[in-house]
Amino acid sequence: MLVSDFLVRAAENTPEKIVIVHGKNRFSYGELLTNARAIAQWLVSSQGSKGFRAAILTDNPIDYVSLYFGIQMAGGVVVGLNTQTAERSLVKTLSDCAASVIFCSLKYKKYLEKIVSQLPDLSHVVCSDASSQDVQPHLPQDWLPWTAVMTGSVEGGKDKPPSIQDSDLAQIIYTSGTTGDPKGVMLSHKNLVANTLSITCYLNLTAEDRIMAVLPFFYSYGNSVMLTHIAAGASLVVNQNFLYPNVILDEMVEEKVTGFSGVPSTFAILLHRSAVRKYTLPALRYLTQAGAPMAPKLARSLRDIFPGVEIFIMYGQTEASARLAYLPPVDLERKSGSIGKAIPGVELHLLNKADEPVKPGEVGEIVAKGDNIMVGYWGRPEASAEVLSSYGLRTGDLAQMDEDGYLYIVSRKSDMIKSGSHRIAPKEIEEILQEHEAVHEVAVIGIEDDILGQAIKACVVLKEPDLPLKKLIIHCRKNLPAYKVPHHFEALTELPKTATGKICKNKLS
Amino acid sequence: MSDPIQQIREFIFENFLFDADESALQNEASFLDQGIIDSTGILEVIDWLEETFEMQVEDEEMIPENLDSVSNLAVFIAKKTN
Repeated sequence: MLVSDFLVRAAENTPEKIVIVHGKNRFSYGELLTNARAIAQWLVSSQGSKGFRAAILTDNPIDYVSLYFGIQMAGGVVVGLNTQTAERSLVKTLSDCAASVIFCSLKYKKYLEKIVSQLPDLSHVVCSDASSQDVQPHLPQDWLPWTAVMTGSVEGGKDKPPSIQDSDLAQIIYTSGTTGDPKGVMLSHKNLVANTLSITCYLNLTAEDRIMAVLPFFYSYGNSVMLTHIAAGASLVVNQNFLYPNVILDEMVEEKVTGFSGVPSTFAILLHRSAVRKYTLPALRYLTQAGAPMAPKLARSLRDIFPGVEIFIMYGQTEASARLAYLPPVDLERKSGSIGKAIPGVELHLLNKADEPVKPGEVGEIVAKGDNIMVGYWGRPEASAEVLSSYGLRTGDLAQMDEDGYLYIVSRKSDMIKSGSHRIAPKEIEEILQEHEAVHEVAVIGIEDDILGQAIKACVVLKEPDLPLKKLIIHCRKNLPAYKVPHHFEALTELPKTATGKICKNKLS
Repeated sequence: MSDPIQQIREFIFENFLFDADESALQNEASFLDQGIIDSTGILEVIDWLEETFEMQVEDEEMIPENLDSVSNLAVFIAKKTN
């Protein structure tokens, strides 16, 4: 089975049914399939054989989903780009995957124009919302308006689509690596289909469901929300700007949504920075949270506000297509703080350093097996070999299992910061700060934050002690996406170090 | 007391736009549409409003009509402080 089969099946069964609600726009399964096929047709002609990488840079969910399926139907590999990005990150990602085509909204064209000369593999740039006059003809690539691709007024239509196998790559999702450089997680059709079917099953999703989708589709969690609801033939009400939670709540009421998915900060914002207590959402059936176990106090508050609504706590990694474990709603209080047990089709074991299973109560690394486990990291065989072995995927997360088989995360091996829905490598921020001429040394850490889970803090030793810290914030703003700019800065006279000179981050706070 | 519009503009430039040109911020422009403020940024705006204008922003007042542009903020501040 291929990922696009989910769409084809739903579009054949219920072509008129709305798949995406975005503001005032409503888009049906039939329209989505027509769009995806037009895109696929053009790609088959313009990109040649299967396996090409096609990047998407848009905040329009209807375009994103059309492209997602169109690229895969042409045998291509989807690379969804973070729209909150800096030019430097874009160049790194697009060079790494050697994308041959980029689809972007017109508003991002100005960023692409500055960097395309650094992307020798890129042959085509397609801009949505653009007319022929808007596209830039003075660059080495072919710049085309979206309409030309969709209406078939450019090359396309004659070539036969390639034969696609379920072992072929469908998508690369970039995650922050601990070294600071993003790593491309390679996911095959088989990986994504297996995980999607498993999640659809344990969430009991049906065509009657309507999810409020606030998470961006370019991240693993948002991608999974999109795929599972399309697999169920359900509807997605999309508003990926969580700036004004009351607007989201109004939409949830108007659209009679049955589900809502978030990360811990989404729920913290809902509870502490919205009028959620004044709303009634009679259609709401389920809430899902991934990213961390739910604090008992938060779970109680959500239960009080949404009586009878099922709350699913989920655990996973991009490397597992999305999900590895979930805590059923009935266990939320009985097994408070747990991430639950393996999802259907996945085996989870806790292993010690010698790859032997640990006893109940002992700490071991979570190692996962299943059809959802990634093929590897794009172009990084050594990094892939470090985490993939005959035992399965080494998650880097240390956990304990109770006598009933429920898992509890104890700590994570890496020092990645989890801020809101983002995973952030401190090293990337440290490297940017280190480039500033006034910085002698720097250590970036995550500190507890009521809303974000973790806030980013930069501890700096300055060569010029009188330098206003604002200069460093400006430097970060210019070189990093907004969500990676530290929330707190502290100037120190020195950083705590071990006898061998290594910075002791655990002594910083 | 200085002009609220000017105070708001100074706050936005100081915290979100930095050394951008004055023309980068139109008073009517939506912070959301222009990508000027993200979801954590809006919390900073609320903290600043409560501290600077000694006002309490209620949960149900956190809507774009009150917060999503320099002009909307100015009207909201006037309503809350008069």
